[in-house]
Amino acid sequence: MDGLTAAEQREFQAVVERRQMREFMTMYSNLVQRCFDDCVTDFTSKTMNNKEEGCISKCVEKWLKGSERMGQRFAEQNAAMMQSGGSLGGAGR
Amino acid sequence: MSMFGFGGVQGPTSAQKIAAAEAELEMVTDMFNRLTSSCFKKCVPKDYRESELNKGESVCLDRCVAKFFEVNVKVSEQMQSQAASRQGGAPGAGGMFGM
Repeated sequence: MDGLTAAEQREFQAVVERRQMREFMTMYSNLVQRCFDDCVTDFTSKTMNNKEEGCISKCVEKWLKGSERMGQRFAEQNAAMMQSGGSLGGAGR
Repeated sequence: MSMFGFGGVQGPTSAQKIAAAEAELEMVTDMFNRLTSSCFKKCVPKDYRESELNKGESVCLDRCVAKFFEVNVKVSEQMQSQAASRQGGAPGAGGMFGM
């Protein structure tokens, strides 16, 4: 990401924004999947019961808080790794 | 004319530079997604008793992220040394991390 000119950076920024939308949709559908799998187990009714609803909202909130926390740690680790000269692929580039 | 855009007289084109940056972004995002789902699975019990992360879960997530990076480095180092030791007998093998 270092050697880009200003014009290239703008173009790359547009690429990043397109991907962010896609990332968001993926995160959303994964979260639906996760919370559904973990919370919804009773099929004696076609609507969610109170316990399931409570579980879903806690599941969503916890995931959001957890992924925010992991995001912070990830950024720190990544920065430390860059400083020590490595990159995520392992090969020093 | 250079085949992969490196080492040519005029260097990589804009499109190639942007594609490389995008590939790097893709790799980091993919790694982050796998890390978050794996650490969440390992650290947060599925019964979701409260919506806050408790102390134990938080500490577990922090350590999990650090360890995921550590594993990343270990695997990469081991693959590189494998590739290096194989280089003599079979040239051209194991180019993936040997860039």
